Amino acid sequence: MSVAAGPVRAGLRGRDLARGLLALFPADQVLLQHDDLLLYEYDGAVDTAMPDAVVLPHDTGDVAKVVRFCAEHGVPIVPRGAGTGLSGGAIPVEGGVVLSFARMSRIIEIDVPNQRAVVQPGLVNLHLSTAVAPHGLYFVPDPSSQKACTIGGNVAENSGGPHTLAYGVTTNHVTGLEVVLSDGTVQRFGGKALETDGYDLVGAFIGSEGTLGIVTEITVKLTPLPEDKRTILAAFHTMDDASDAVSAIIAAGVVPSAMEMMDALATEAVEASVGAGYPLDAGGILLLEVDGVREGLDDARERIETICRERGAFLIRVAATTLERDRLWAGRKGAFAAMGRLSPEYYVQDGVIPRTKLPEILRHITAVGQRYGLRVANVFHAGDGNLHPLILFSGSGGEAELERVRAAGLEILSACVDAGGSITGEHGVGMEKNCYMPIQFTPDDLAAMARVKRAFDPTGLANPGKLFPTPSRCREFAFGARKLDA
Amino acid sequence: MKAVISPADAGQCARALADAASARTTLRIEGGGTKAYIGDGGATDAVLSTRLIAGIVDHVPADLTVTVRGGTALSLLQRTLAAAGQFLPLDPPCAERATIGGVIAANSNGFGRVRYGGVRDALIGTTVALTDGTLAHAGSRVVKNVAGYDLNKLFAGSLGTLGVIVEATLKVLPLPRATAIAEVRVAGAADAFAIADALLRTPLRPTALVVDAEGGAWRLLVAADGERPIVERAMLEVARRAEDVAGVVERSDGSEAMLAPLRDLTSRATNGAVVRAAVPLAATGAYAENATRREAVSRVVADAGSGIVRVHVRGEEAGVIAAAEALVAAARIVGGSAHIERREPALRERLRAWPTPPPAASLMRRLKDAFDPNAILEPGRSAIG
Repeated sequence: MSVAAGPVRAGLRGRDLARGLLALFPADQVLLQHDDLLLYEYDGAVDTAMPDAVVLPHDTGDVAKVVRFCAEHGVPIVPRGAGTGLSGGAIPVEGGVVLSFARMSRIIEIDVPNQRAVVQPGLVNLHLSTAVAPHGLYFVPDPSSQKACTIGGNVAENSGGPHTLAYGVTTNHVTGLEVVLSDGTVQRFGGKALETDGYDLVGAFIGSEGTLGIVTEITVKLTPLPEDKRTILAAFHTMDDASDAVSAIIAAGVVPSAMEMMDALATEAVEASVGAGYPLDAGGILLLEVDGVREGLDDARERIETICRERGAFLIRVAATTLERDRLWAGRKGAFAAMGRLSPEYYVQDGVIPRTKLPEILRHITAVGQRYGLRVANVFHAGDGNLHPLILFSGSGGEAELERVRAAGLEILSACVDAGGSITGEHGVGMEKNCYMPIQFTPDDLAAMARVKRAFDPTGLANPGKLFPTPSRCREFAFGARKLDA
Repeated sequence: MKAVISPADAGQCARALADAASARTTLRIEGGGTKAYIGDGGATDAVLSTRLIAGIVDHVPADLTVTVRGGTALSLLQRTLAAAGQFLPLDPPCAERATIGGVIAANSNGFGRVRYGGVRDALIGTTVALTDGTLAHAGSRVVKNVAGYDLNKLFAGSLGTLGVIVEATLKVLPLPRATAIAEVRVAGAADAFAIADALLRTPLRPTALVVDAEGGAWRLLVAADGERPIVERAMLEVARRAEDVAGVVERSDGSEAMLAPLRDLTSRATNGAVVRAAVPLAATGAYAENATRREAVSRVVADAGSGIVRVHVRGEEAGVIAAAEALVAAARIVGGSAHIERREPALRERLRAWPTPPPAASLMRRLKDAFDPNAILEPGRSAIG
């Protein structure tokens, strides 16, 4: 079943498209050569597709201009930040124009009294926190790719990171957006104040993966830096013990700012790559952090340590210096990249489950891996139940191997939904999981989303082929529609 | 007498909406009936009450989530959670009678937003009955989910204009081990907001920062909760800063008794009008101070942690209208917005709730048309009519 907006028109392509774009922009803002376009056919996920052209806007006016042109000529438009996305959000699956935000990467304003910053979408996430640190502030969302990923991309995907357990994800830290809709109109949603009259369009837009329009300016909340932190590494013999500790900590009324878990395979890769000092004989590792005002931190740390010991932790280490803390975190943040040590290729899933279901879902993942003859490493946000099973494969097994990897991934996601969870916690649906949407949502649920799509994007040209199941690509996924809570 | 439709469950509610849509029966959606004063809505053909769609569906304490039906009283939910050592971090006005569906639909927040966030931050899943007779789920029951559009945000604050919230899943938290509140009586707005601002720039994360001005008297209320040492530190910092401006500090453990009357300013304001402004944080002090200088203004309650300011205007009609209109304009000048949250019935014609359409109103109308093409839900209630 397709619930996406109307069919995309064939639209301008080739020489006519090139001529049209070059009439609007100087040559250094338009990429048309095959070799140049090759850099834009991929992102952090597995799928690829070539754009017809890439435009590099300098400001909102440029964005509106190219979007109006595309609307007139039926050309799909796909925004792109740093291309670190893990669900194919920036891939022009139906061709068209990719809008690269590489040249819209400025901080427009740091407004310390209002605890806000106004930024362009191409700004790198970490650059903002670095820039506002002298004011004792930071931008909370910290995806593992924060050294490269852009805030525009964070808005599109509603990105999270390890510290979202206590402080929330991107949508909890954005109060205003400037957006160009697919008809070329420039709209402002929200601002520096916490609320505006009418519907919460900021909230509806964040996480829409470029399918509702293109964000051109973002007003974000800045948060006072914590006075201090305690970073704790706890090593367990089994993942079950580590999972129990996670639930016990929450049940005891402690909400750490981060609670990350890693299995033995992931630990092996991280140690070979980063050398974070994780014990190689552990079956499961927890990386925990508490932060805030100095008072109370040691009390929270002691409670966490006690619970971990009670649940079988055989080693507990507390970072004594900033250097030690950074080293512990380097292991976690470098985990995906470290997988190269274990396997030429990996496919990462992003399912979410209620955290009390961690032990059973982890056992299920192991069983699925064994059944398909695939190794699976786990490194994930245990505190909010956001799994990241990394399915390892050779990459030389052709389509048959890929099919096996996808099938294993789908089984894992289905189990997450069956456990009351979600197919994606922070990586997005994109073109990687759009066919899986019906396992989490009923046709009625998807129809409600399609109403929103049509209201924002009546032309259907905003990042087509994403988020909604498409008849062309999803035919083989004949899922019976199931209710989320059935 | 007006017809009251009281569906017994979500499915009945969806069917009732479909029936109303095909008959073009306009509906007011009612939960606890605590916020009926909002908006410019006139009489509707019928009222749809959610009171029977009530009860807690699921609560797994270690997951820190609760799933609850829309018509459930917030107070009942809080008592259930408290028995498990948890609470829903929302402290809206009229918490005793308000329903969770109504709190979400009206985006009804209290002073705890500075620490815990508001409705939009706590809400992770909704089931909404739509006018085509379907039930649409958005979000999920887990704390992190980016599958599909975040329709939770669209429904929060939609005032029943898009559909009826029949079920919601929300994030909950462990009850704090200690709470305290300090009342600081100061000479004027400058001192009150200076203390509030200084506290906001620390990682202390107070649970309320409220400035109250009435009859020329100014006071700041600072609440803190959490582990005992953190609460003590917060109270110490308040006292230290109050000393700097010769403020008089009084500390108590009963936050609720002190905050409730301020939170309920609008529901208690049966005469005159209440202007509700949302302004950027740093503009809150000047906005509140200027408000107290106007004729007809009787009380100003400013949430210094979130920039929400409520102004109660009383007296003869022309004065009330002039002050209310000036306060709405003043909010816009500083980059915020304001509307008339409540006014006495006699003023309804001359003082519109939403004086001007919001930015992006045409897009909002397209959303409204997409969800309620026959325009049966809450005509006139919201900022876009």
